[in-house]
Amino acid sequence: MLQGRNIVEGWRSLLVHGLLALLFTLLVGRYYYLMIVFHEKYAEKATANHIRAVPVLASRGVIYDRDRNLIVDNAPSYTISVIPIEVKDKFESLERLSSVMGVSVEEINRRIAKNRRGSFAPAKVFSRVPFEKISHLQEHRLELIGVAYSIEPIRNYVSDLDLSHALGYTREINRDDLNRFSKDSDYQPGDQVGWKGLEKYYESELHGRRGFRYIEVNALGQEIGEVQDRAPINPIPGHDLILSIDSYLQAAVEKALADSSGSVVILNHKTGEILAYASRPGYDLDMLSGRISSKDWESLMQDPRKPLYDRGIQGLYPAGSTIKPLAALYSLENHSNARERTYVCRGSYRLGNRSFGCWKKTGHGKMNLHDAIQQSCNVYFWNLVQDIGLEDWAHIAREFGFGQRANIDIPGENKGLVPDTKYMNRKYGAGKWTRGNLLNIVVGQGDVLVTPIQLAQFAGMLAQRGTQFQPHFVNKIVSKNGVVIEEMISPSHDRVSASKDSWDFIHQAMWDVVNSKNGTAKAARQKDWDIYGKTGTAQNPHGEDHAWFIGFSLDERYPYSWAVLLENGGGGGGIAAPLIGKVFRTIAKRPS
Amino acid sequence: MNIRSYIILRLKELEWSTLTFVLLLSASGLLAIYSIEVQHESGSEYFFRQSIWTIVGLGLFFAAFFMPRKLIHNLTYPAYGVGILLLLIPILTKSGNEVSRWIVIGSIGIQPSEFMKIFLLLALAKYFADHKRKLSTVKELMTPVAMALGPTILVLIQPDLGTALVYFGLLIVIIFWAGIKPLYFFLLLAPIVSMLAAFQTLSFFLWMTVLIVVLYFNELPFWTKILNFFINVGLGGITNLLWALLKPYQQQRILSMLDSDSDPLGAGYQVSQSLTAFGSGGPFGKGLGEGTQTHLKFLPEQHTDFIMTVIGEEFGFVGVMVIIALFYLLIGKLITQAYNSKFRFDSVILIGIASIYTFHVFVNLGMIVGIMPVTGIPLPFISYGGSFMVTSMILAGLSVNMSLVRRAVG
Repeated sequence: MLQGRNIVEGWRSLLVHGLLALLFTLLVGRYYYLMIVFHEKYAEKATANHIRAVPVLASRGVIYDRDRNLIVDNAPSYTISVIPIEVKDKFESLERLSSVMGVSVEEINRRIAKNRRGSFAPAKVFSRVPFEKISHLQEHRLELIGVAYSIEPIRNYVSDLDLSHALGYTREINRDDLNRFSKDSDYQPGDQVGWKGLEKYYESELHGRRGFRYIEVNALGQEIGEVQDRAPINPIPGHDLILSIDSYLQAAVEKALADSSGSVVILNHKTGEILAYASRPGYDLDMLSGRISSKDWESLMQDPRKPLYDRGIQGLYPAGSTIKPLAALYSLENHSNARERTYVCRGSYRLGNRSFGCWKKTGHGKMNLHDAIQQSCNVYFWNLVQDIGLEDWAHIAREFGFGQRANIDIPGENKGLVPDTKYMNRKYGAGKWTRGNLLNIVVGQGDVLVTPIQLAQFAGMLAQRGTQFQPHFVNKIVSKNGVVIEEMISPSHDRVSASKDSWDFIHQAMWDVVNSKNGTAKAARQKDWDIYGKTGTAQNPHGEDHAWFIGFSLDERYPYSWAVLLENGGGGGGIAAPLIGKVFRTIAKRPS
Repeated sequence: MNIRSYIILRLKELEWSTLTFVLLLSASGLLAIYSIEVQHESGSEYFFRQSIWTIVGLGLFFAAFFMPRKLIHNLTYPAYGVGILLLLIPILTKSGNEVSRWIVIGSIGIQPSEFMKIFLLLALAKYFADHKRKLSTVKELMTPVAMALGPTILVLIQPDLGTALVYFGLLIVIIFWAGIKPLYFFLLLAPIVSMLAAFQTLSFFLWMTVLIVVLYFNELPFWTKILNFFINVGLGGITNLLWALLKPYQQQRILSMLDSDSDPLGAGYQVSQSLTAFGSGGPFGKGLGEGTQTHLKFLPEQHTDFIMTVIGEEFGFVGVMVIIALFYLLIGKLITQAYNSKFRFDSVILIGIASIYTFHVFVNLGMIVGIMPVTGIPLPFISYGGSFMVTSMILAGLSVNMSLVRRAVG
């Protein structure tokens, strides 16, 4: 080991050591002075001067129809919160609050526990408190230590339209959702969050970001005033939604539907915009927003008419004859003699030793493809399907969007069902199902299940000769100062290709359904514009059949496609087609 | 020699006291972060992440310890170059007005300015080790000053005044340690003192008196004395101009330190809340998780720069003293080792590490009790933050490596 000379002179090392000791002595002195000498002064200050950050809620974005008429905005509502640490040993505060509000102390404690964000943060216990109660509590504020009031905006449904299923509602956020949102997100217990429909789908756009103001409170938890040296953080309001909904058309639909159970979806097949959307029965949005009483919730859940069920996107029904154009289009494209082929309908069809009855018991007589669509003859299609494989039929059905979600901008869609070989094998066992099952499928009964939105989309694709537009509710997302954040321009997809002649043939047949003397939907006919349509009857083992009417208009003024479903409405020609007739007669009278 | 026997040999040489200090300090930091998260009922994300960084840091501690000295010596200048490039990335890829301090890779953000502390230290050490500089001419000082100035300017652009001061402080200490003559050292630092003194008329005139006396009683050429005098007067004069170039929040922070009442924007508000937290902690503190000041989220940087408020409030004066003592023992040992070292390279590195730690500890512990401005300087091993934890650990590993008594062939 080499005993070399040190590189640094001793005095330099001493100086550095000395400097270190000096700096650390300074620190020790400062901490001693703060923590020992002035401990009592600061201890007092710590308990006496708490600063409370009071959240200022961002106003939720409002919702307009396509013409910027308000549908949903916000109204002020009173909220009562409790600061857990301050009521910990002060039972009388909760006691008084309980007696004024008529809610037990245990229930208040339960709500505090649910909305707790820490001992010092106000936990929300009552929302939508009537003003009289607030003023009563205000008079007794000295006996109500740790109880705070605030005004927060709640949803206000401005329009008379019943768009309950499309709009959805907001509810107080629950623990699971809070945990699911990321840590830096803006949500706190007690916040309102979109729970269903557009409110849920567009939650991140509508929500905005909360602000804070800083209030100094004394040792008793009473507010002294705003903190002077800390500027409040202003809330950022949520974005507004401009829907594609046409309020006039929607009102006409609602009027025509009256008290029936069912669904109507009308969309613009050139853009995918949903112009009218109804699912009946609906529900009272005011009742469901915020805190709903368990009694009200029970009665909604147990209502046999299922008002919470969004028939437009969740309701699964057999498509009935509305799906016949699918087999017709397949035949036109694949059978060289499709147009000339005739079958005689004597009111029933025999397969093996089973007999299948056409809806017209006396029979349609000799039928070609055009007449079979126009008069919805089942026997013709049962004969035709003998030449169509299940896989081919299922393929074209999927191309038209059946068996998959339409991906519209509200959550909860059902996929429906397009049976194919794999499905049939799974359900009935390989080789255990027969051509008899196919007979059901081709006329839209049995295993085929569709939703109204899917059939409306189907009608739109027929109108557009195979081109599909993404159906959607929201046209634009706009910030509070009017800047367009996002504009929805649906992409189009050419999904089904067929020759012009085939499409012309289908269009002609569907025109005749409405406009010829033998058509099944004459009641939908309009005076000065052409309606194309197809009726259907969904067999319902539990009661009266459901009525369908789908169709479209190629008129430039009215680029509409629609699906109407009336539960227990019997045959589609009977009541579903007249409903559309009535709606469109109203539309023709629209004030400019 | 194979790797295994190399490692065993080196482990025998490992000095355990440094590792013990490092482990105790890291554990205190984790405890404080744990306490914050318990109070806020906000899960344990920070605690979890900091634990990961501590483990990664310990790995790098050993890497720095095991790395052959010769390899370190050879890699010094390339590493410095890489460090400069890394500092340029946020500047060249900036979006918006402010330059980010971070390079984001996936979900991890790294702060190149932290690692630059190591690279700058090594580069300066190599410069002073390779040439036995007497540091008697201005020319000999140019290279090290330029070495420190490059990264300093790059972090000032960010803007990160605190880190710039770390680099600059490192340079000053190393120049002193490398043997600069006291007079030159005085003249080198004089302009800085002049600028600081210029904030107040009385202090400026007092300082000028000192300067004149020193200049008068030495053998410098006459014109050098005159030049020095006017440089100092001039710099004092333009201080107000430079002051105007500082960002308003930087001005505010310095002002709020000088006078905590003149503080409309709220930088002093943080300090005042921090003082209340410490003061109310008293001799023994309120107990783990019982702090009331920390409950209210007064301090936005509570888990980073203001982490000691938690320890102060919950473990009291005793807790703070334990931390301060650990730092004192660690840094004091580094200085002693730097003095005892027989090699310039090792010695300069050791004193540089001591200087970085001292700067961080004093500025951080000083700012939270109002005797230093709020500059965003974290506390080594204790503040939350991956890049700085890793940097502190590497420096510690390096110090153990450099403190070994080596054979002459070293």
